Amino acid sequence: MILIHCPYCDEKRPEIEFANAGQAHVARPLDPSSQSDEEWEAYLFIRANPRGRHHERWRHVHGCGRFFNAVRDTVTDKFETTYKAGEPRR
Amino acid sequence: MSDALFRNEPVSSTPYVADGVSIRLAAPLKRYSLRARTADALETVLNVKVPQKIGATEGGIACLGPDEWLLRTPAEAAMPTGTGLPVAITDISERSICLVLEGPRAAEVLMTGCPLDLDNFAVGRATRTIYETVEIIIIREGEDRFHVEVWRSFAAWLWTAFTTAASH
Repeated sequence: MILIHCPYCDEKRPEIEFANAGQAHVARPLDPSSQSDEEWEAYLFIRANPRGRHHERWRHVHGCGRFFNAVRDTVTDKFETTYKAGEPRR
Repeated sequence: MSDALFRNEPVSSTPYVADGVSIRLAAPLKRYSLRARTADALETVLNVKVPQKIGATEGGIACLGPDEWLLRTPAEAAMPTGTGLPVAITDISERSICLVLEGPRAAEVLMTGCPLDLDNFAVGRATRTIYETVEIIIIREGEDRFHVEVWRSFAAWLWTAFTTAASH
């Protein structure tokens, strides 16, 4: 079982306590009505699918309940680092 | 006393005793979900010490997350509502029941479905976690005594899982 470091609990916890919540650092446009259909589609649906280093949101759902960001390698499934939501991209 | 007449528990009120472990339903508790951005805000309202670190317990209050605490108390005490203040105090007494696992095999029974390393789980620590697919809150009350908070609808299944594990 993979152990994931929760930045809020500050300890490694078993993977099944966590839920993946998709790509991280997807900012909602500040003024949605100014967006074209293509721009809005890109915000809503278009996501990166890299081979290798990937920024993801995770949630410690069966623990402290908090969302945080993680850098995971999609090939090896190794977590490089995790950090609190709101902190700059690593 | 009317409480006792209407109370309908999802698991047996007879303790299950196996070799090295006993499993029983705890007496009814009052439970409160305490939410606030900081522990200090709650301390002001409740006038008691509130643990700051996730996992810590103090005087019946367990810190479950950065902005979430669980208060368990046997007494029917009047709780402040915190009206007008940036805190939320919610009575969740009947949301869950508490199973008490006691005995030298208590940690072993819990670890049949819980992925945490309970051998290195300090006395007095509390955490939300998972048993198989059921969300639980574990509170280590003593070296050989664990309190397991589980939502009512999952309790019957968890009771069966615990007693089955204990019988092996």
